[in-house]
Amino acid sequence: MDAFFAGMGVLLDPYMLFLVFAGTVLGIVVGALPGISGSTTTALLLPLTIAMTPAAAIAFLGSLYCAANFGGSITAILINTPGDPSASATAFDGYPMAARGEAGKALGISAVASAIGGIFSVFVLIVAAPLLARMAYQFGPPEYFALAVFGLSMVAAIGGDSPVKNLLAAALGVLLATVGLDLTTGVERFTFGAYALSDGIEFIPVLVGLFAISELLEQAAQHGAVQSYIKLKKVELPTLADFRKCAKAISLSSVIGTFIGVLPALGATTAALICYNETRRWSKHKEEFGRGAIEGVAGPEAANNAAVGGAMVPTLALGIPGSTTSAIILAGLIIQGIRPGPHLFTEQPTLLYVVFGSMFAANLLYLVMGLGMAKLFARIALIPATYLWPAVFVLSVVGSYAPNQSMFDVWVMLAAGVVGFLFRRYGFSPAPLIMGLVLGKLVEETLKQSLLIFDRNWLMFLTRPVVVVLFAITAAGLAAPALLRLWRFWRASAA
Amino acid sequence: MPTKTPTHIRLTRRAFAAGSAAAAGLAWSPLGAQEKFPSKTIEVVTHAGVGGGTDITGRMMMVHAPEAFGTEFAIVNKVGGSGAAALAYAASRPRDGHTILLITQTHLLTVMQGKAPVKYDEIVGLARATDDPQFLMVGKSSPLKTAQEMIAAGKTKALKFGVTQLGGVDHLAVLGFAKKAGMQAPTIVPFRGGGDIVINTVSANVDVGILNYAEAESQLKAGDVRALVTLTPKRLAPLPDVPSAKDIGLDINYSTVRGFVTLKGVADDRLKALEDGLLKAMKGQMYATYIERSGQSADSVVGRGPWQAQLDGFYNEGQAALKEIGLLK
Repeated sequence: MDAFFAGMGVLLDPYMLFLVFAGTVLGIVVGALPGISGSTTTALLLPLTIAMTPAAAIAFLGSLYCAANFGGSITAILINTPGDPSASATAFDGYPMAARGEAGKALGISAVASAIGGIFSVFVLIVAAPLLARMAYQFGPPEYFALAVFGLSMVAAIGGDSPVKNLLAAALGVLLATVGLDLTTGVERFTFGAYALSDGIEFIPVLVGLFAISELLEQAAQHGAVQSYIKLKKVELPTLADFRKCAKAISLSSVIGTFIGVLPALGATTAALICYNETRRWSKHKEEFGRGAIEGVAGPEAANNAAVGGAMVPTLALGIPGSTTSAIILAGLIIQGIRPGPHLFTEQPTLLYVVFGSMFAANLLYLVMGLGMAKLFARIALIPATYLWPAVFVLSVVGSYAPNQSMFDVWVMLAAGVVGFLFRRYGFSPAPLIMGLVLGKLVEETLKQSLLIFDRNWLMFLTRPVVVVLFAITAAGLAAPALLRLWRFWRASAA
Repeated sequence: MPTKTPTHIRLTRRAFAAGSAAAAGLAWSPLGAQEKFPSKTIEVVTHAGVGGGTDITGRMMMVHAPEAFGTEFAIVNKVGGSGAAALAYAASRPRDGHTILLITQTHLLTVMQGKAPVKYDEIVGLARATDDPQFLMVGKSSPLKTAQEMIAAGKTKALKFGVTQLGGVDHLAVLGFAKKAGMQAPTIVPFRGGGDIVINTVSANVDVGILNYAEAESQLKAGDVRALVTLTPKRLAPLPDVPSAKDIGLDINYSTVRGFVTLKGVADDRLKALEDGLLKAMKGQMYATYIERSGQSADSVVGRGPWQAQLDGFYNEGQAALKEIGLLK
């Protein structure tokens, strides 16, 4: 308890409070801007933080990290452009809500869900980090393979109404994931000698193209149509009934998101996608998904922020980064002379409480700011399309170019935009494509690694308890609709 | 301003770099005088993305570089092709000393395989930045207690080694070690990064992991992994009890190195100026702290002579090794 009060004492210093505030505001801004992610910003600011005390540096970077994952949802909802890859699942239902004139509601629920997910994971971090971190050791390639198969198993149900079209889109995503240097053979696949493709297709340009550019083309195709902004009569925040509707999505996603965040190989993007699946699976209103379901915003947002606290678990308790951003924070800690590991929790409890406190405060801060400014942000939807979409176009080009300073990525983005437009025209959804792209690589890579580990004996998968459990859940999920139909049929014929 | 800028792309990138620097609140010195070298921003080209290990090394050097050189610095991240994209970009720039590369052995392996538009004799060493000895480590539950036991086990069956990249530095180090020690050709299990290797070494999914000290520091302290041997001739200060390769009678030297180079064609006085400036920048307090705390060898920073010699040595040895595993004809 002494350490707790000492930590709070450090944190209540005006300078520290200012840093947490500055980190949160900066995090929201860079999170919202496509192309500048939280990880890029932490890397750029790393040399600056070295001049600070260790406590100040980590409070600043930690709050930036928390807020950036929330910031990504703002642009995902308002202009269908995920500001951060982790917000891609948010756009699935967030943008249709905004298009319906419910931008305020979507932004509000995003802020609340993000904060609950974030705060839940910070509590898990405080209470169970050393214990939970050991779990990371239980996850080798076979376990990741089983988890990725579980994630992909729901792909037919996600996105559009036609399972066949969803599977086709997912297959395209899996195919795109094979581009680049193959980890286990060292062979370059589908790169056509282009350096830009040797590390695979960049995720951000694909996202920006699929969402933002395809929407721009769609808007352009509706020349002369009545502008959609008339629908927005007044900006409403979520009501109590909305929160009640989302309670299950938020609590489920907070738990799953934290768990996935703890796993070093998986991050907030995967957490959000898997939780979007799970939210839909357990929802009473499955038919609303993809058309502006408020639960479809709450689930992934709770998950991607829960993944932040989760990612800090192995980072602090094992010295193994749980995500790109936490890898940079880890580098910062090491340069500051702090050695993460199990001993950190006994040797430097005060510093840890500063970390927890600042992350907790950042989550509260962006909740207040997010709710306070939701009405203001929602007015972006009022900007006439003739001004808004050209601005989005500029943002998309810059956002795709910036991370790797590569024109190639800009072409990828534009090509993905055309694909996204054709998808819309012919009734496909981008959601399964993104699932395929994110999980396809994981499935293939971990399968090949597993077989190397198992001396190419497939049956060895069944000797791993975690794998067996995950396979069983996957099988149950796949068989459930068929069994349900069978049961209904049996009841109907019995009656 | 635009008249001085060769292409609009360059302007955009510059503007972006300047913008982010301004956002970072970093104090940048104004553009230096035009008559002497360096006369404009020096670009540091790296193959690593923002936040990658090599990127961070570059940024640490850059903390003190503006005062050492009297000009500003900018990192250019050219990701792709295991260094080929970075080399191609550098090759497209004027050879006036305003473009330098921060490279690893990976770049040399890429050059050897003819995958970059640059030949090895075009690469001119300036200064080494980091030298990170590699270790062979096993998990707590492993029956292998010493390097000798591991070698003996490796003679009766193929051990599984966790490495980062096929045909990369780790891979060559493992093959070189196994060959010198007379072990069977090992089974190579590639992973995405050091963290993955640590986890799979602890959980015994692989028999042995090849790791740097800093990557496994917390597991070494907690006793979850044991370091059996360092693949360099000298023991590393933080692990005084772990034998060096020399101690067990092997003449090998594998470490992860990063260093600055430029491409042939830069005038000699400028090479000297770059070497002096880089050494001065890396003698700075911030950089020294970074080297010490990230577990790098204390004599990481060396000048042109020893760095070029190390590059040459690695190039010759790497070529032989790549031929042996069939990646080079």
